[in-house]
Formats: sequence, C-alpha cells, structure tokens
Amino acid sequence: MRWPSFVNLFGAWFFLALIPLIILYFLKLRRPKMEVPSLVLWQSVVNDQRVNSPFQKFRRNLLLLLQILLLCLLVLALMQPFLSADAEVAQYMPVLIDCSASMAATDEITGKSRLELVKEQVREQIESLSGDQKMSLFSFSATGRRLTDFTSDRRQLLKALELLEPSDLPGQLDDVLRMAAAYTRTFPIETVTIMTDGNLPDQVDFELPFSLDVRRVDAGGPNVGITEMSARRSGPQEWEVFVRVSGSSVDLRGAELKFFENNVETNTQPIEVSNEEAERLVFPVSSAEARLLEARLIPTGFDSMAVDNSVWLTLPAARPLKVWTSPKLASWRHAIRVLSNIEQEDGTDEQPKGSDYDLIISDAADLGGAIAPVQVFVGVIPDDLKTMIEVKEDVDYVVDWNRTAPFLRHVQLADLEIGEQPRLASGLSAKELEELGYEVLVDGKAGPLLLQRREGLSVSYWFTFHTDRSTLPYRVGFPIIAANAVESALKQASLSEVSAAPTGVLPVISVEADRSYTIKTPDGQQIPATSTPAGTLSGIPAAKVGRYDILDGNDVATSVGTGLLNTTESSLKAVEALRFTELTVAAEKSDKIDSDQPLWWTLALLAFGVMLFEWWYFQRARGAAA
Amino acid sequence: MASGTSQFTSLFDNALLNQIERMRLRPIRRLTNRSRGEHLSGKGGSSTDFADYRDYAAGDDLRYVDWNIFARLRRPYIKQFQHEEEMHVVLLVDASTSMLFEDKLLRARQAAAAFGIMGLLNVERVSAYAIHSQPEKPWMFPPGAGRTRIRQLLAFMEQLEGGGNVPIEKAIETMLRFHRGRGVAIIISDFLTFGDISRPMNMLYSSGLEVWGLQILAESEINPNVQGDLRFVDSETQETLDITNASELLNVYNDQRLWLQSQLDSMCRSRQGRFLSASSGASIQSILFDQLCRQGWILR
Repeated sequence: MRWPSFVNLFGAWFFLALIPLIILYFLKLRRPKMEVPSLVLWQSVVNDQRVNSPFQKFRRNLLLLLQILLLCLLVLALMQPFLSADAEVAQYMPVLIDCSASMAATDEITGKSRLELVKEQVREQIESLSGDQKMSLFSFSATGRRLTDFTSDRRQLLKALELLEPSDLPGQLDDVLRMAAAYTRTFPIETVTIMTDGNLPDQVDFELPFSLDVRRVDAGGPNVGITEMSARRSGPQEWEVFVRVSGSSVDLRGAELKFFENNVETNTQPIEVSNEEAERLVFPVSSAEARLLEARLIPTGFDSMAVDNSVWLTLPAARPLKVWTSPKLASWRHAIRVLSNIEQEDGTDEQPKGSDYDLIISDAADLGGAIAPVQVFVGVIPDDLKTMIEVKEDVDYVVDWNRTAPFLRHVQLADLEIGEQPRLASGLSAKELEELGYEVLVDGKAGPLLLQRREGLSVSYWFTFHTDRSTLPYRVGFPIIAANAVESALKQASLSEVSAAPTGVLPVISVEADRSYTIKTPDGQQIPATSTPAGTLSGIPAAKVGRYDILDGNDVATSVGTGLLNTTESSLKAVEALRFTELTVAAEKSDKIDSDQPLWWTLALLAFGVMLFEWWYFQRARGAAA
Repeated sequence: MASGTSQFTSLFDNALLNQIERMRLRPIRRLTNRSRGEHLSGKGGSSTDFADYRDYAAGDDLRYVDWNIFARLRRPYIKQFQHEEEMHVVLLVDASTSMLFEDKLLRARQAAAAFGIMGLLNVERVSAYAIHSQPEKPWMFPPGAGRTRIRQLLAFMEQLEGGGNVPIEKAIETMLRFHRGRGVAIIISDFLTFGDISRPMNMLYSSGLEVWGLQILAESEINPNVQGDLRFVDSETQETLDITNASELLNVYNDQRLWLQSQLDSMCRSRQGRFLSASSGASIQSILFDQLCRQGWILR
C-alpha cells in the first residue's frame, strides 16, 4: 500500500484551526429556549434506550463533526497530498513526444491516433503536476523542437500539447535528446520521459547524461503503404519505375495501386501484402520530357495511416551526360568515349569551355570556373593538403582500398604499381585528413593514393599520383573506374536512376538561374525561394507528403513530389528497447504514465460535498427551530 | 363562559351550575364516616327509608320490631332501614407553576368546584387543598358540609392562584396530615413529577380514601409542536434539557406520555380508584358530562 506524501507540509499548521472551531462552536451553540410545564416526559424521552443509542449521541453534535470533517478535508487539500509514483519526486520533467508519421496511425476500433493516446497520457501528467514541479515539452520527428520552457503553467503546457500534430517525417531521437541534454547544464534533470509508439531506430548514437523513461503506447491498426519508388533508365527515352508496397499486419491485406503520369492515370495493379511479403511492381514509362509520376495506393480495407499511400517521383528529361576530360588524360578520354549516351567535349584546351558539366576529369586543380557534381582529379594534391602530402619519386603500391566505395566498385587494385609515392607528413594520419573532409579510399605505402571529398551534393575524387605513371590504365579495373565515375555522374544528374524524394527537404530542383520562385506546398503554404547562379533551388523544407509546385509568378515552372518512403514508419513496428552507446533502455508499453496522483482535488470535492450536506442539515435544523 | 354580576360564580355560568347541582358523585366502595349523612351505606341504617326484614335476635331493639307482622305471623321480625352515612370528599388541586400553562389550572379549579358542589349538595363533608409554593402549609378549604358552604367553596376556587413547585407526592403527604375521615380523594393535577407517587397513593388508600386521579394536560403537552434543536426549561425548577431533532422524538414522547397515564391508571385502579386524563383544551362541560359521566365518576 502506498501512503500519500504531501507537497505542502506547512499546511498542517492549519489543523490548529480546529481549536478555535470547537471553542466557537460551543460558545455559539445557542439552542432556542422553550419553557415547558415539566421536563418529566422529555427527560424520560432522553432516558429512553432508543434515544441513548450511539447514533443519537452522534447526532447531538453532528454539525460540529461535519465542521471538523470539513476543516480537516480543506487542510489536507491545502497540504496537497499525492500518491507518489516513484520514491523520487522529479522537479524538472522534460517530456519528449514522438510526432513522427507513424504517430498518425489510428486504431481500427477506437479511431484514435497514437498521438492522441500520447496526448491523453501527457495531459493527465500535466494535470497532476504538483506545485513545484516544472515540465517542458519537446516534440520530435526527423528533428527535435522545444514546445515550452520548463514551466508549471498547466494552461501553457496544455495549449502547446493541443497544437501538436503528427508530421510526415520519420522519427529520429538523436536531435531531440541533444536538445534535452543541453538543458541538463541549466536544470537538475534526472529523468527524461519519451512518449512514443516505439517506431524508432533501435540504435541511437548518443551518450545519455540522464536516465530515460521510454513509454510506448498501443500499436495502431493494420497499415499498407508505399515504402519505395524509384526509376531506372532502360533506354534513351525509356524508364522503368519500381514501386514497393509493404504491409504491417501478419495477414495479407489487399490494395489497389494506381499509377499516374502528369496527373493522368495510366495503370492500376491489385496487390496483396503482409509484413512478411512486400510487393514490388514495375511500371514502364516512355518519355523524353520531364514527367511527374504519382503512385497512389487505395487500400481495400482499414488502413491506419494515409500518409504513406501516395508518392511522387519526378522523371528528368532525357539528355546525354556532359563530360569534360583534360586533353592530357588520353587514357581517361578513351575510357569515357566508349561509354554510351555521353557527350564528351572535344578540343585541346586545358580548361573547360563551358561552366556546367556533369563530370569533369582533370589533371589540374584549376578548372577555370567550371563546375560539375562529380569531379575526378588525377595527379593533383588538394590545395589544403599540400602541406600534409608530398609526392616523392619512389615506387609505391596499394596497401588497401575501400572495396565498398561506389567509385571503386568491382575494381581490383592489388599488384598495382605506381611510379610515384605520395607521402603523408610524419606524425599525421588519416584522422587529420578526415577532419578536413577527406576520406581515404586507397592507401599507399606511405600515404593516401585516392581521396574522396563530398561538398554538399557534389563529390570530388583526388588521385594523389598520376595514373599515367602507374599500371592502372593497363588494368581491367581502369575502364571500370571510369564507368563508375560516369555512373556516379549519371546518378547525380538523375540521368540513370532517380528515386522519389522522401519528406524532409526537397531534392535540388533545376530552374533558371538567379530568379525568384514561389514554392506552393501540399498544405497550401507558399515559400519564396531564389535560384542559385547555377540555376538550382535547394534546401526547401518539405515536411508534408504531396506535390510541391514551383511557381514562376503564376505559372507552374515545375512540380516535384515527396513521399514518406520509410519502411520503418510504414511497418508500424515498435522496438522493445533503444540501444544507446553505453546502455540499452527498454521501451515499456503502458496505458498510463506513472505519475504522481494528486489527491487535493478529491479532498476538495469531498469537502464541497460535506459543506453542501452541512448546509442542508443546518437549514433543516434552523427551519425546524423556527 | 359568560361573566357579569348576574352570574353566581366566575367559574361556571348559572346554567352549568344548575346542571352540576343535579349531579352526584359515584364512589366505588362507599367509604363513609360513621356520622350520619345523606350518603347511603351498604349496611343497614336508621333512616326512614325501609330496606328489608330480618329475624329477631336476642338483644335487638324492640322499637324496630314490626308488630303488624308479628300479629299476623306470630313471630317477631326486625324492620331494617337504609343507613345514611357521611362521606368525605377531599379535593386536592395542583396549582403549581406547571398548571399555569394554557387553561390547565382553570380546568382544574372548575372540576374541583364541580366535584365540591356535588359533594356539598349531597350532604357530604367537602374539603379542598391547593398545592402551591409552601409545601408545609397548603391552601386549605376546611372540611364542612351543607349548601351554605357552596359559596365559600366557589370563592376558594376562584381565588386560587397558581405558582410554586411543590411536587404532587409531597402535597398529598401534607394534605393527609390535615385530613381526617373516609371518603374520596380527588386529585386534580398534571401528575408530572419526578418523584414516586405510589407511596402517597398507598397512604391515601390506607386512610380510607378512594383515589380518583384527574390528569389535566395542556394541548402542547399532548401534541407538542416542536422541531429542531431545543433547550427545554422546566417551568417549576428552571432546569434545562437539550433536545436534538425534537420532531423525531415525538413518537417516543407520546409513548412516554401514554405509559405515564397507564401507570397512573393502574395505580388508581389497584387502589379501588379511578383515573382519567383530560385535555385543558376541552370544555368543562365536555369533561363533566361526557368523559366523567361515561367513566362513571358522576351520576346525572
């Protein structure tokens, strides 16, 4: 049995009010006097055994007893008793509320979403806040957001809670945990409560400075959703569009997948999926022009989440890959030329003529202002690494290489002989290179032979030795490396493969340079944006699933779309535990948060009832006396 | 009640007085004094009214032999006559403070006057005592008989004032110290006393007095209209008693009142007496001609 604790123990002093109450009661107790001929009969009445029953004795001072009871209840309410949920009473309570897409999943019977269930529990916790307890609400999906400061203002907390809505983004804990951790420097936070459906990545890269209380609500109903949509070029003007549909329930659930091209329905496929069996459909699309495709899922039965039922994909217009290769790199030019659908710039100029390319392969760092999303530098040490890497005249060979790097896919570099030896300055290691943004793809005897650097959407590869001074051009792997570079450029230009954009941030959109546009979001908002000199729009937030129209004035310049496209979210699976760097936290399923249960309002209600009864009793007695 | 110079007494009007004068008390045992009176005793007497014959016995007064019968039957028979003896009617009126409520004392004085008139007109000795504030020295109407005492009796009753707190049992004991003679003791009171009344009852009975108890209660005592929390004050002793939710105790109160009446009735009957409880709200005519007549207290 749990005994109640009291928030305001000083309120017990008010029990002293019982003394004046009792004194005043007896001082003020004036019964109306009534003269009777004799007390003989009335004394007999009083002496009667029935009159002397305990109940009658009790009733003699019932008003006083009621007043004592009323005072005791009021004083107890003033002392703010509560049934403690835990031995420790947390003073600062951060509550992190999951607002990811899966929180919108509804229950088939009640129709309540998971977020609504969470809101109910948090609302109860807010209502049960004791006087000195402060709560701060955070919401998180892909990122974290602080909703309120630490406050005991229930109205403010409830208002922030009511405004919470599920987003169309996957859930990520890292960001919001860092935000909460930042508060530990200011407030003595011991425990952070996470209210979630458990549909989170089970591995969290975070060191917990506090204990974590993960509360998981009930799972939602069955769900069917599109978890992947991509297209691969199968010909100069031919695309194959792949759509993957997954289900969350054990049983097979039916649905109809409709396929739209520029808002015109072109195909419909019936499907049946379960959590074990996903279905992958292929839709052929033939078009040289850019097209906006939409895959729309129409579930035949109950579907707990609607946000993953539509996905948009923008197919770019078909064009050849634009490549500039330094005329000195004959081996690279030959290797590129044989590849199909390539537009390689001819000429003997040492710098590119144009400004925009899809792939640049150069033996000099200075490109004369030309840019490309994929750049390959041969025999060039990056300027910022020149003090760290020195090329010596010595024979070198490959010690190891990153076999999973796309640039080196299917490439065998063993027994490669190199006539130069890039050496890393003494005392330095790959760590220093990584700090500057470089990743070592190939290690030589004394230093890196191939570096990769990503800057935004572009990627550059740096051969620290000249390939012509090695046996690489004579190796089978050389044309593969060239093909990998082209493949990478094709992907960057979305010419070979294109995937539907998940919610979060819109993919880079090619528009006219230096021009103002307005992005109309699916929920009707309008976001102004200006294109870069390179003619791109980037960094546009896309929190909602749907179609985004890029308006040039009133005209639609282009349209792109997003989808949830998250297998974890669509599966509605709940993790049993979250694995952190040093420990694992169980995600407990609970219908109710273990919060302190305040009793003051119960006592206040009882006091009100006692007061009403006393009033009625007093009026009755006074009326009788009158 | 009509009032005016033409009325014989302020207690009754003349018409009621005439009716009372035609009424007689009806004692149960006919306890009488040996002195001659107009009350017929059960024994043979010396009045002029013939009662019976009996055989002559040696020593009988020859004056009572019926010589006509002797001449015809040649045997002596003694002629018997009704014996008329004097009966003492003692009136004990409770005039304590408790009788001042409503018309209790008035009804008691009227009833006592009526009983007295009936006794005096029947050539009985009538005496009256009033219970008041002095327990050792009661107001007293000395014993006497004859019509001439009617006016004095009425004057005594008219002048009787209420007050005092002498309990009824003490008043009876005091009365018995002054009283001599057999007959009927009519006690007119509310009989509301904390004391034991059986002892004075026994004393009355052993003194040769039939005990007639007439309880006069006020309407507020028979059907008290009380509610809520009250503090009752005894009118005689000024003692107080706190009552909570008096209205809920009325049933118990009535039970107690009826129990007291049954006790008094039992006490009187066990001493060859009578008991009647009347309301002061009832008229004296109703009490006399209805209740008392029906109960056989008086003969019309």
